[in-house]
Amino acid sequence: MELTDKIKNVLNVQTIKLELIKTAFGKPDVYLANIDPRVLMFWYLTVSILPWFTFNNTILLFIIAYTAVLAVVSRVSPLILTLLGIGIVTELFTIVIVSLVFGGGTFEAILPLLTFSMKLFIMSIASVSVFASMSPERLSDGLLSLKVPAQFSFAVSYGYRMLPILLDEYHQIFQSFRLRGKTPENHGFLKWRIVYYYILVVIKSFYPLMLNIAKRTRLTVEALEVRGFSYSLHNPEAKRVKLSYLKVRTKDYLFILTQLGILLIIWWFGNTFPS
Amino acid sequence: MVSLNQSIIEIKDVHYQYPGAPDPVLNGASLTINKGDFLAIIGGNGSGKSTICKTINGLIPHYFSGDYEGEVIVNGLSVKEQPVSILSHHVGYVYQDFQNQLMKLTVLEDVGFAPLNFGYPDYEDKAMWALELLGIEHLKDKTVWELSGGQQHLTALAGALALNPEVLIIDEPVAQLDPQHATLIYDKLKYLNEELGKTIIVIEHHTEFIANYCKHVALIEKGKVKWHTNVKQGLLNITELEEVHIYPPQVTQAALQIAHFSDADELPITVEEAKDYFNGYYFHPGTNSHQANLHASHSAILSIKDVQYEVKTLQKERRTVLDIDALTFFEGERVAIVGNNGAGKTTLMKSLAGIIKPRIGEIIVDNIDVKRAPVEKLSSHISYIYQNPEEMFIQDTIYNDVTYFGSVRNLEQNERYEQIADQLDMRDLFPKDGRLLSGGQQRRSSVAIGLAMMPTVMMLDEPTASLDVGNRKQLIRILHSIRDRVKTVLIATHDMQLVSEWATRVIVMEHGIVVFDGTPRALFERVEIWKSAGLKLPQITELSLGLNIHPALSVEEFVARVKEVQLNGANG
Repeated sequence: MELTDKIKNVLNVQTIKLELIKTAFGKPDVYLANIDPRVLMFWYLTVSILPWFTFNNTILLFIIAYTAVLAVVSRVSPLILTLLGIGIVTELFTIVIVSLVFGGGTFEAILPLLTFSMKLFIMSIASVSVFASMSPERLSDGLLSLKVPAQFSFAVSYGYRMLPILLDEYHQIFQSFRLRGKTPENHGFLKWRIVYYYILVVIKSFYPLMLNIAKRTRLTVEALEVRGFSYSLHNPEAKRVKLSYLKVRTKDYLFILTQLGILLIIWWFGNTFPS
Repeated sequence: MVSLNQSIIEIKDVHYQYPGAPDPVLNGASLTINKGDFLAIIGGNGSGKSTICKTINGLIPHYFSGDYEGEVIVNGLSVKEQPVSILSHHVGYVYQDFQNQLMKLTVLEDVGFAPLNFGYPDYEDKAMWALELLGIEHLKDKTVWELSGGQQHLTALAGALALNPEVLIIDEPVAQLDPQHATLIYDKLKYLNEELGKTIIVIEHHTEFIANYCKHVALIEKGKVKWHTNVKQGLLNITELEEVHIYPPQVTQAALQIAHFSDADELPITVEEAKDYFNGYYFHPGTNSHQANLHASHSAILSIKDVQYEVKTLQKERRTVLDIDALTFFEGERVAIVGNNGAGKTTLMKSLAGIIKPRIGEIIVDNIDVKRAPVEKLSSHISYIYQNPEEMFIQDTIYNDVTYFGSVRNLEQNERYEQIADQLDMRDLFPKDGRLLSGGQQRRSSVAIGLAMMPTVMMLDEPTASLDVGNRKQLIRILHSIRDRVKTVLIATHDMQLVSEWATRVIVMEHGIVVFDGTPRALFERVEIWKSAGLKLPQITELSLGLNIHPALSVEEFVARVKEVQLNGANG
């Protein structure tokens, strides 16, 4: 009982909401936040794709260390890191089970599976550090300047604007289900009935949320029309004015050069001392 | 001053039918609005008020297809021939659900959204200009979800203003705001109207606001403009107004009840006018403000002791939002909890319902320790009706929503559902999806859902917000009629008229602390308390205080207390 109380204190909806919002809205004082969004996206793609061209575990390990440092620099929220950590631990656990069951009782399959997981891990941690430090507006404008359709780039920034509201609304609906619902009398083995009850409520709560959003969107689309959004889609001048603040400056070149340099050094080191 | 004689909007014999709708919404509507006017558009639900406004900014016929006939001229431009994007420069629009009109994350980005879409290089200057005009430039870097409702409305208004249109249309500003913020919005509109010569059109049914701010008023009925006249004459068309559930200001009602023979032009519509009008009248002192003391005769049903609740902010600070030493509610009480937004009303209710659990303190409801009991167990003792009914519709029909509580518990209570259906006039609503109902129907449904849980205590969070006067009256009737079903009712509200007509006890909250606990009458006598808590008194109470008599709680009471009518008292 005491342990669950402690967990509840740390892991309540309020805290989770705050952490998510902090992650989503970026931190203007973080180093990565001031890099041009297009440069950051280029870097992100490089780091995520590069590992798939190698099976060298030294290289992979060093890239993990490198991205981890960047995650620390961009002050990724502990909650997100914990979630990532839980993901890794369960992943490792399944790998052991899978290789035991399907590998004929030996651990031969573990290594290749580990290599695969490391690549996935690099992608996740790179995403977290990039998207946690970039503000939604810069992300959306970066996409727009890369010739992504304006409808999509707007949807990205609008999604961020709606996020806290959706979180609140989801929580309210979840509470509505609980207020009128009934927990099972018989808790079952390891309280599985209770767990099952909560899982059902978590899933069911999405349906009213979706309907509510659908209703609200009608008005939003109408307001978009009044506020000139569809006009801007056919107006190159509007796009130019909107993106005029995006410039690749010396510090952006410096950033990309040093990062590519670090990756090259890792690559060379890994090829010299393969594991 | 801008001349009132030059027309800026001409609506000529407009017919319109939404695609797929069985009947036309507009049936030959004609209306001429002059430059610099401050016009209130009134009318019943579904009369075509919003539709007529959408023919002005070109959404009809350009965005909504459908059968359209007639002609609308705005600032010399024919709406039919101009695209919405051009018309947006002439007409700004603020929706009733203004939250959905805000597109961007921060205030400055949002206000600059329209100018940026039109490709103005100085879009930020335009946005700052609009913000400064409304006096909210300090909010520019805030994210929109951090703002209060009133601030969000101002942001939406600034967004419409950023293109510097000559005409502003505001759909029901009072509906979603507390009275203090509604007054603030109207003051800003008045400024835009008087100082910048903007033409303002509001859709409104709160006659107190119309009387205080508007110059003209137009009644829309069955898709036609029935009449269009100055405010005073309009508000005195009593019988026609009552047909569409609009009631004259309280002071006008009082004057009418006292002297039917009075010349219409002399009747007061604002508190200031009423003070002159009733000058020279004599009044009986108010009835004894002591009410039967329920505390001694009835048992306590709900008690709170040393409760504190704090929230974490984005800056990782902890802020106390609720701090109550001791509070007890008794059987048979009708309690109103009032105070500004953020005063802690909702937090108090949610703690009582067990939805949030304060770490410090003790809450007992119906002999149950709230902090130890799961909400699933508590809900049959104390039910909480959300401010937004849509968040309570978790099933596909209202009937399933009402019966959800009973069916997961395998309760046989069809009889009870029948009673609820009759009492709340719900029969037609049962097979419908809650999201598709009107505001008043949604509110009634949410009360029905609460009643079906057979609670001992019922709590409603701002039940009269966004209801028109007709629906509001119906809700108050329902609140009175459920007295035999629940033992105690708690309401969080800004609606002081509801407080004075319904409550037996008022709790005033400020910054999470209870600053007053007593009868409504006692509260109205404590000027310093309601002033500092930012409450807006009902017109009739304000008038009685202005006349230096004991505060009257209702028009009926005020009228009954008049001692002696002086025929020459008016305009004395």
